[in-house]
Amino acid sequence: MAMPRAFAEAQRLLRLDKSRLDDFVEALKKVADVYGPVRKGVQHSFQLLEDKRPELDYHTTILPPKKLLHEPFEKLFSFEEDRVEVVQSVPKRPQVLLGIHPCDVHAIEILDQVYGGEYEDPYYQKRREQTVIIALNCTTVHDNCFCSSLGTGPELKSGYDLLMTDLGDQFLVEVGTPRGAELVAEAGLEPAPRVTLVDKERRLSEARNRLRKRLLTQDLDQLLKDNFRHPVWEELRHECLACGSCTMVCPTCFCYNTVDVLNLDLKSGWRERVWDSCLLLDYAQVAQGMNFRKDRDARIKHRVYHKLVYYEPQFGTLGCVGCGRCIDTCIKGIDITEIIRELRGE
Amino acid sequence: MTLINPYKPEPAVIQAIRSETPDTTTYTMKFRDLQEFSFEPGQFNMITLFGYGEAPISISSAPSEDGTFEHTVRHVGNVTNAMAGLREGDTLGVRGAYGTGWPMSQLEGQDVLIIAGGIGLAPLRPVIQAVIGDRRKGNGRYGSMEILYGARTPADCLFKDDYEEWRSAEGVNLLLTVDAVPQGMDWEHNVGVVTALFDQMKSRPADTIVLTCGPEVMMKFVVRGLLERGFSPDRLYLSLERRMSCGVKKCGNCQIGSKFVCKDGPVFAYAELMTLSEEVL
Repeated sequence: MAMPRAFAEAQRLLRLDKSRLDDFVEALKKVADVYGPVRKGVQHSFQLLEDKRPELDYHTTILPPKKLLHEPFEKLFSFEEDRVEVVQSVPKRPQVLLGIHPCDVHAIEILDQVYGGEYEDPYYQKRREQTVIIALNCTTVHDNCFCSSLGTGPELKSGYDLLMTDLGDQFLVEVGTPRGAELVAEAGLEPAPRVTLVDKERRLSEARNRLRKRLLTQDLDQLLKDNFRHPVWEELRHECLACGSCTMVCPTCFCYNTVDVLNLDLKSGWRERVWDSCLLLDYAQVAQGMNFRKDRDARIKHRVYHKLVYYEPQFGTLGCVGCGRCIDTCIKGIDITEIIRELRGE
Repeated sequence: MTLINPYKPEPAVIQAIRSETPDTTTYTMKFRDLQEFSFEPGQFNMITLFGYGEAPISISSAPSEDGTFEHTVRHVGNVTNAMAGLREGDTLGVRGAYGTGWPMSQLEGQDVLIIAGGIGLAPLRPVIQAVIGDRRKGNGRYGSMEILYGARTPADCLFKDDYEEWRSAEGVNLLLTVDAVPQGMDWEHNVGVVTALFDQMKSRPADTIVLTCGPEVMMKFVVRGLLERGFSPDRLYLSLERRMSCGVKKCGNCQIGSKFVCKDGPVFAYAELMTLSEEVL
């Protein structure tokens, strides 16, 4: 596709003074629903920025931005007896995801594969089309991040409309797409000198050095195939509570269950899909109680193998982006990087 | 962008209902509006009873020219129990056909051995009908066909009305067995598990493709017994049951290792299942 003139001529490197962040967000709000990280208790959450200010120095969010593309509860259609009407709660205006980290952008690219393919998911696809990604490189990292092992951070190389990097008193803003160019033109950002790229590189390299966790991916496929009966799984059978929290906060988990909900007339209602979890007991259960993953070790093992082995043949990529949310959230402190270290005999 | 919605059920009208056993019923259906519908033996549809939910159910008839298709349903789950209340002329929701069916082109020129247990005969009936239909037309595409079928009791045998036709077809051998015969019931066939019929069968490993469906524990012993008799894993095909909420590789429920049973299956060569880390049988 040929670049529109507006984009070809636009500056690719721009700067945004932190003092002008509110103005920038206000300009975005004129053309889109803007979602960004806001404080929720001691954590952060992606919320619609109505009267709230985004806190772009956040570490991570409770739920990944997936919730804005593949909703936790989503009506698929409504019905009245045998008449079916498709429901699509697609936002009328574009939605801007402001300040999402490189790992989460990579995760969205994986979900694009999951919801694409032979049977495209119209609910995801329509919402995705309406979505503008203003990503934020990670100049700070937190204890459970291991993106550098998976090549998904702390720096983002593609997959953004706009990419921000915190340079202290200002953000560097890089333009990735014509849609991004339109937005910065709207907001009137100033050009940044090329030398700011040096500052960016330095800050990202420092962030990379501060990452403590590793998940070594070399020969991971073979390692896991060879260790399907490793004692670590037996230990996890007793350790894991099978609560499913790790799957709820995972930016690449996509499983769902469907439920029919009836109105009080008992004739009309709707079908909705609800996030499901392979950690839950009834996930692989069929009629008459036959359960193909009855034991907890089988379920957590399936999750680990799915992320690190099965995504590759299914979608051409690893299923983990190193965001660390599953480690943050596990009340038993189960850590996927520790599992792999144990399998490697470290 | 206009996208086809793969989750929207199409109305289908029940043309006929036939009671198979005390807990199993065959429904003949036809789409009310949808004109184009084709399927292969071994594929399944997602069946909706609005308000109850949706379940994957095998198609139990061979493709027909009048656009009808059959589903043989054991009333054991949420949706299937509710189906027991359906009457002729009622409408339900259907979408499909989904999945990879039996390897029909690979059966050509080969003998066919069908081994089924209980409701597992339902997805195999289209193959039996197709092979007999082919023979009747004189095409001679397939070799001989042997059918080994096991049920709990004589009353639990599916498709009893078909047996006479199957037996009378040229080159077809039907062997029946039941786990138990209640007192006072007539039964002139075998009593015991389905693998007990192996000594009576004529199928030879080198010339035969095996298609099997039934409870996993049955298939486990079927596979073990056939491998011992020299059948090769790439000539054994199994149809698997898994939980499914979409049928189109989205909901994730049906995965075994990297395979989506709804799309890569439900029919798999045993040789393929052997390559998966996650044990199947």
